[in-house]
Amino acid sequence: MTPEVQRLERLAERLRAVDPATPSPGAKIRGWNLVLTAVEQSATVRSRAHPVRRLLLAAVAAAVLLLAGVIAASADSLPDSTLYPLKGVVENVRGALAFSPADKVRYDLDIARTRVIEAAAMIARHRLDLADRALSSLDDQLNDAALVVQAEKQSDPALAASLENRLVQAIASNDQQLAGLQGQATNPATVTAITRARDRAQGALQTADQPASSSAAGKSSASPAATGTGSGSGNGQGNGASASPHATGNN
Amino acid sequence: MQPLDKAASDDDRPLIERVRRGDQDAARILFERYFDRIYNYVYARLGRVEDAEDLAIDTMTRSLTRLDLFHDQGVAFSSWVYRIAHNATIDHYRREGKATLVPLESATMPVSADPADLALAQLSNDDLRGALRALTDEQQQVLILRFFQDLTAAQAAEIMGKSVGAVQALQHRALGSLERALERRPNN
Repeated sequence: MTPEVQRLERLAERLRAVDPATPSPGAKIRGWNLVLTAVEQSATVRSRAHPVRRLLLAAVAAAVLLLAGVIAASADSLPDSTLYPLKGVVENVRGALAFSPADKVRYDLDIARTRVIEAAAMIARHRLDLADRALSSLDDQLNDAALVVQAEKQSDPALAASLENRLVQAIASNDQQLAGLQGQATNPATVTAITRARDRAQGALQTADQPASSSAAGKSSASPAATGTGSGSGNGQGNGASASPHATGNN
Repeated sequence: MQPLDKAASDDDRPLIERVRRGDQDAARILFERYFDRIYNYVYARLGRVEDAEDLAIDTMTRSLTRLDLFHDQGVAFSSWVYRIAHNATIDHYRREGKATLVPLESATMPVSADPADLALAQLSNDDLRGALRALTDEQQQVLILRFFQDLTAAQAAEIMGKSVGAVQALQHRALGSLERALERRPNN
């Protein structure tokens, strides 16, 4: 071992012998309190915003927003729109959630009003096929409402009278709009389709007036979501048959 | 100060997982295990009690709250804590505007220096600490880790991000520089 190495080893030994500096007890307590606070905050932040959870929440939120946006957009869609089938699904859900007679009539009349708007738009776009389906669907909705009124006449005449009054008003309002459309129409087929729809609306009023046993015509499927190609029975009677734009073979 | 052996580093792993889940008891154990060591390390670098306390607390806070940045892949938790302490020290120097030091290994060696005359036993701890702080950053670090912290060359190498051979060579140069710094003391 060279003298230099021996010197340095002695120096190293002297360094090892230096008393370790130790923090004061107060510093240690202060340090732990600060560390503890920071650890608690850190744990809270982590649990609040775990990266994977945050990503998942963002994805779910985006999906919900997207779905809500599509549904909202479909609410105003017309029969020639790609979103129109979704509108039917939403309408069917609404219909399934209408439990009381008053809710059912309100739902049917809402949908009927929508069908009038759709029919007017399709006539304006010279889509008579789609206009005809909308008109048929309109009549089916009115007929459904009429059947509810009819059924209520036995169990709750007062409610039935109120519902019938709403039905009459709705049909009168629809008829006014249909008459306007009819006046503007130049295509004979369009005029015929509107005339038929108006006749069937009046038929729905007759159905509401009849005793329940005499017109158990069954429920219709009058939403855009129903499948099929039915374009309306065109018999001028609210017989409850499916006359949806997509109804299945009931011609 | 107890040597920081490998077993202690192995014991850290389950504690780290517990701290990640918000376990305060585990955080307390790690705090107790490292706070004194880190204080000792930082004090040796700075020489001021108040600064050393603040930096040691800051180091432990960062270590135990940023565990998401610590990945137990080849580097022990202890090494990670020392690295944080070292970086905190460097930041402190920058903030305080520490004067740039001339590496002592390139300083002129007194011609008449006779190391045998160095009465090491007569040196106070403060003399040694003061002379140590006159060394370069790396030289201080290696001597503190090896002799104040009682770490092995391998542990120091992991903390400093160097090979064991490089640490041993650095340690040799650092001891030489320290010897010269002690010889140049004003009252020597």
